[in-house]
Amino acid sequence: MGWLAVPRDWLDSLGEIARFGGRVMILVFNGRVFHFFGEALRQAGILILGSAIVIWGLTFILGLQCGIEGAYFSRSVGAPSNAGVFAAWCDLREVIPYAFGYMMAAKVGTGIVAELGSMRISDEIDALEVMGVQPMIYLCATRLLGAWLTLPFIYLAGIGVGYFASYLAVVEQVGEVSSGGYFLIFWMFQNPPDLIFSLTKGMVMATAIVLVGCYYGYNAAGGPVGVGTATAKSMVLNIVLVHIIGMMGTLIFWGANPRAPIGG
Amino acid sequence: MMILAGKTLTAVVKPPYPYGGEFISQFLFALQLCWFPMMISTIAFGFGAPGLQAANFLSLFGALDRLGGFFILASVREFAPFVTAVVVAGVAGTAITADLGARKIREELDALQVLGVDPIKNLVVPRFLALMLITGLMDIYALLFGISGGIFAEIAYGQPLGGFFATLFNNASVTDLWGSILKCTMFGAIIAVVCSYKGMNASGGAEGVGRAVNEAVVIAFLGVFAFNYVFTQTLLATNPEISVIK
Repeated sequence: MGWLAVPRDWLDSLGEIARFGGRVMILVFNGRVFHFFGEALRQAGILILGSAIVIWGLTFILGLQCGIEGAYFSRSVGAPSNAGVFAAWCDLREVIPYAFGYMMAAKVGTGIVAELGSMRISDEIDALEVMGVQPMIYLCATRLLGAWLTLPFIYLAGIGVGYFASYLAVVEQVGEVSSGGYFLIFWMFQNPPDLIFSLTKGMVMATAIVLVGCYYGYNAAGGPVGVGTATAKSMVLNIVLVHIIGMMGTLIFWGANPRAPIGG
Repeated sequence: MMILAGKTLTAVVKPPYPYGGEFISQFLFALQLCWFPMMISTIAFGFGAPGLQAANFLSLFGALDRLGGFFILASVREFAPFVTAVVVAGVAGTAITADLGARKIREELDALQVLGVDPIKNLVVPRFLALMLITGLMDIYALLFGISGGIFAEIAYGQPLGGFFATLFNNASVTDLWGSILKCTMFGAIIAVVCSYKGMNASGGAEGVGRAVNEAVVIAFLGVFAFNYVFTQTLLATNPEISVIK
């Protein structure tokens, strides 16, 4: 274990992960995954039942956080009725995508690695291949399709949960602005394209996380210990990818255009 | 988990203290794992979220020099501790769970107990102390790189940096810094206890260790963010002078 172990490890595997991810995406787009559409639906069901609540829990907590920071910040500049600006930008543009990415990486990403990794260790993936089922389609492509089917809706509901939490924090808890005044500013500082940009950000994160999870699980080696190590490694890469995608999304969507109703 | 936390705390203070060497090796291990992901994450976060978005907003008013003051609120109070916790939980925490889980599966922990070596004192305590210390110190590291992300945003808007630093140092307060570091140290304690607990209670062969890592990181995130909310709330409400913009 040296100082450069982590960056060297990434350099080693980044190209392979990109190739693996490309192959899985092609399998989804050329429609071969629809041979196993039932399995994709089952994966979608697992996502809804297992992960939705935790993701919403985290967006709720971070929505509260945005709310109190916004309330205290706008009070300190002498405009407590403008807490909605901070809450709207903080929730929609930055923090909810990050919260979603963190929880996806923690719950779904590591879950996929643990599941696929243990299948690899107990030779179940080889068994699938022997039976004539392509494991890439049956295990990875179905998971990606399941994620694409459900996650946009989980994400949108997560935004709703975050908004509700910010409202609670600003209006009910700190209580320096009336409900109507808060919502006037809050809705003025966002519009549907912002929502679509935010959704794009979240979905790119989700795709990256599912693909990285599939890669590390599919290629796990070295017994039960190997599965644990692969899970930990996938988490490291996912955290960094979430941050980089978040930054690039902000730069592309809002970098040159604030999209705020101020001035000309 | 609470029982494990209590046992760990008593084992920290009760002599003998056999955990010095293990503490140093765990500290170095966590540092070697964390420094690179932490650097990329904090620069990206500082440049994107508080940097570009706030600079967007401030540039509408022609007040880009105020970005420095905003970074005290954003980076010191919120984002540096929060990104530190996420990276430490995701990187060092998962490694601890995977390590302890592997030892549990191979029955090494039981063997230690049979030999009369207390696994909590010799394995959990050094990890607990190392993670607490490293999360507190990593907070400063995250602050440096988070603020450099803000500097990149300021440069991207073609602004001289004098105003940025002037408002930054005007608004900085010792209370903020101590609050930030204290918060991070507590995050480290939460992460260490959750991850050690999940690792030491892993069961069920190959899938067990992976599942333990999964559960550990989910619980650690929720615990850290819930604690963060309570802490920020208390800090802001009890120290009204830190939220005055100068």
